[in-house]
Amino acid sequence: MRYDSITEAIGNTPLVRIDPAVHGLRNIDLYAKLEMLNPFGSVKDRPAWHMARPLLEGAADGDGTVVELSSGNTAKALALLAGMHGLKFKSVTNRMRVPEIKDLLLLLGAEIEELPGRSECLDPTDTDDPLTHFHQALSDPGSTYLHTDQYFNPRNVEAHAAGTGPEIVKDLDGKVPDWFIACVGTAGSSTGVARALREHDPRVRVLGLVAHKSDFIPGIRTIDEVHQVGLFDPATYDTIESVTSHEALDGMITLIRRCGLLSGPTGGAAYQGAVRHLRQADAELEDTGQRRTAVFIVCDRAESYLSYVRQRRPELLGRAGRGHSASALTDAEVRESARVIGVDEALRWTTTGEPRPLVVDLRSPHAYAALHIEGSVNIVDELFEDLLRGGLPFSKRTPVLLACPVGEKSLRYAAALTRMGHPDIRSLEGGIVGWRDAGAPLVRE
Amino acid sequence: MDAPLYLRPRVDPPLASLLRAGTFLHSLVDALGSPLNVLLPETVAENARRFRAVYSRHRLTGRVYFAHKANRSSALVRRLAAEDVAAVGVDVASLEELRHALSCGFTGDRILATGPKDAEFLWLAARVGATVNLDSPNELEQLSALVRTHGLGRVAVLVRLSGFESADGHGGAGTRLLSRRSRFGTPLRDAEELLSALERNADAVELTGVAYHLDTTGVEEKVRALEQCVLFMDTCRARGLAPRAVDIGGGFGIGYVAEAGEWERWTTALSEAVLGSRPPLTWRGHGYGLRNEGGTVRGAVALYPGHRPTAGPGYLDELLSLPAPVLGRSSANLLLEHLHDLYIEPGRALVDQCGLTLARVLDVRLADADSGHHLVRLGMNAGDMSLEEHGVLVDPVLLPRGKPEEGEEGPVGVFLAGNLCLEADLITRRLVHLPRLPRPGDLLAFANTAGYAMDFHAHRAQRQPFARTVAVERQGDDDWRWCPDEDYWPIPSPGGTSA
Ligand SMILES: Cc1ncc(COP(=O)(O)O)c(C=O)c1O
Repeated sequence: MRYDSITEAIGNTPLVRIDPAVHGLRNIDLYAKLEMLNPFGSVKDRPAWHMARPLLEGAADGDGTVVELSSGNTAKALALLAGMHGLKFKSVTNRMRVPEIKDLLLLLGAEIEELPGRSECLDPTDTDDPLTHFHQALSDPGSTYLHTDQYFNPRNVEAHAAGTGPEIVKDLDGKVPDWFIACVGTAGSSTGVARALREHDPRVRVLGLVAHKSDFIPGIRTIDEVHQVGLFDPATYDTIESVTSHEALDGMITLIRRCGLLSGPTGGAAYQGAVRHLRQADAELEDTGQRRTAVFIVCDRAESYLSYVRQRRPELLGRAGRGHSASALTDAEVRESARVIGVDEALRWTTTGEPRPLVVDLRSPHAYAALHIEGSVNIVDELFEDLLRGGLPFSKRTPVLLACPVGEKSLRYAAALTRMGHPDIRSLEGGIVGWRDAGAPLVRE
Repeated sequence: MDAPLYLRPRVDPPLASLLRAGTFLHSLVDALGSPLNVLLPETVAENARRFRAVYSRHRLTGRVYFAHKANRSSALVRRLAAEDVAAVGVDVASLEELRHALSCGFTGDRILATGPKDAEFLWLAARVGATVNLDSPNELEQLSALVRTHGLGRVAVLVRLSGFESADGHGGAGTRLLSRRSRFGTPLRDAEELLSALERNADAVELTGVAYHLDTTGVEEKVRALEQCVLFMDTCRARGLAPRAVDIGGGFGIGYVAEAGEWERWTTALSEAVLGSRPPLTWRGHGYGLRNEGGTVRGAVALYPGHRPTAGPGYLDELLSLPAPVLGRSSANLLLEHLHDLYIEPGRALVDQCGLTLARVLDVRLADADSGHHLVRLGMNAGDMSLEEHGVLVDPVLLPRGKPEEGEEGPVGVFLAGNLCLEADLITRRLVHLPRLPRPGDLLAFANTAGYAMDFHAHRAQRQPFARTVAVERQGDDDWRWCPDEDYWPIPSPGGTSA
């Protein structure tokens, strides 16, 4: 394969059969359309290119900013496309709740504007709605904004009606699947694919999946939110069902660990929603000798969602404990092993001790810089925890005074270091707060 | 009829047991009239302790200042005055609130004066040693002049900041968190002017802290503001000032509706009703800010988030646990490590579960024959109980006068109208579902009205009676005592009337 531009690599993604041993459906062949293998990483590469292309060609003088209300994949594709054409890209959203995606967009050179949360005190006369401002700025005569408008732009749908849908038919040897399953975000992929499939064979059944109302699955909408999408038409779907983030993660783990598909949460949601929905139909097909097919879309890849996973399923990313750790100690162990020293005695120790102790301040560098005990060194607690794993970070001949804000964390570390064999580690009782309250000196340098 | 779309209120004890004391509540309205506000002073103290527990969990010091504007009651303020002086204060936003707080037992050193201030308010605050939360450099000059002219002592001040979103000004690529613009506070970009004003007036005022209050439910914006305050405190220190407290304002919120599912069903149904795919849920199809544009729902729903998974102390805990965007540590850690005190100014959240508003049913009739919905006229008006005006949608609790009759009909949809002869005087624009049709003489109890809803908008239109307010306390299992709000003192008293 040889291309002149990366945009030529958009589309023609594989359709991969899911092993029946994994999904357990006996009479239905389930296929995954791997949109995650598009060059910018998601199903959104197609509409982003199709929507942006005319705008980019029209703005060949290199002046202007592509803008979109996007929390992730569309923004990613548009940022890259804009960059290739020498333009800037700005994403406006209040849904970007996954830090990696934000960082990735910044890496791509995007500018992000996050919309504020809702007002606590209701003001019915409020005209300061940021979305209104956004649309006003767009329609400003002097504006150089190129708005792709993915929630209302028919080219979003066309990209899939002309690409994704026909590719599925082609890969099924000219046949249309009996079920097509897609998550609904802008409704572009589900609407476009459904249109192409129905033109071939109107008997296809289309299942749209939305996020459970009180839940959050990055990239897809809840049933209320889809009503705000211009491309959404309930008639597109034979069924609309909701999935929870829990199900999405279950599905994602199955696709990753058992199928070798490095899917993100919406792919997981589509898989899990599909299997849940098809189980009944599968049972009805039993002993009829008939076989059916179903296709779902894997929208994007797992890597951008690690903190989403960490937040909801920390055990999936659990680091096995290794080496020494202060956080592993029980309260009883801490009490038994740690030595504390009061402010008065600590003052004497730090000024006239033979030898003087090394004072270690465990707070963050910024707080340390603002005010600290004269002569102390700053090792922020997270770093200190890592140091301990490797062994004692101080010579046994150096006495050490540990200080944290209120003497709680330092107590733990004192206990851990004592158990590791250091003979003279003490924790400052009451911490830096206690030190300050006792009128002992703090300096900024 | 469709399945009833209830939005049943969240009621915890002791409010729940008060609602079960129907005979007692009826006797109160019989004696004192409709509408009637009933307050539980003990609950406000309990709420303050819950906020304090979050402080303890994060090892933070500082004070909880009750935002007095949420309720004009004496009983609530007096009950809070009886709490630990180091832990609980009051935030007053007018001269009258300041006078009231002083008369309820708060000493000046426990009072924080916020909001727009006139000279009298500033003078009295300075005179009694209150901390003044300054809105602008202008206010700072005005206060300093008063201090000098009247030979007052140095006044402790906080400076209220705003405009945090543009603070970490990236050029080009970067993240910008937009915020609703606020009329209050000094924008961070004018901080230089503020600092020199503080230095210039150091003989009259002493900077003890930095403040913000953002009108948003978004914790990220608040964490960003908190961090900007911590960074600003640093700048202050470098200039030789010695502020200690970060005041993060109020806005911790209340969850009004008990069940998430009811709230979700109702709001989904609202979208569907706006799209026309189900019958209206509101008086004349009012959309609460939503509208139908060619089959797509547009607009923003102007409603208080009725069911909130985290509100009040839980929301504070969430805010304190969230990492700060620049320095990375949790905001609690940020405060703790920088040795700062935390001030908060909860209004609504501190009076959560502290009271209810009672109204007598005057008249019940069919609203229109087609829908089968009824119109229930109440002995109150929309000013007496302004849940709806605050966008808070929650069902009243029906307290029947007598026993329901045999075989009385099941759930009904009703609209609640007030006692003014104005078409607009609806207590709700929403169709409210009740377990059965009320009868004249029954009471409707609106739970959780102590935050703003009770008397924020009350007026004397048409010479209708004002709601009176009483404080109640539980005595033993099902025995309640009451006294007029103005007669409540948080000490054992021979007064009060048993049920
Ligand atoms: C400065 C200030 N503090 C506190 C509050 C109280 O907020 P809430 O009642 O939402 O807790 C307000 C409300 O407007 C305010 O303006």
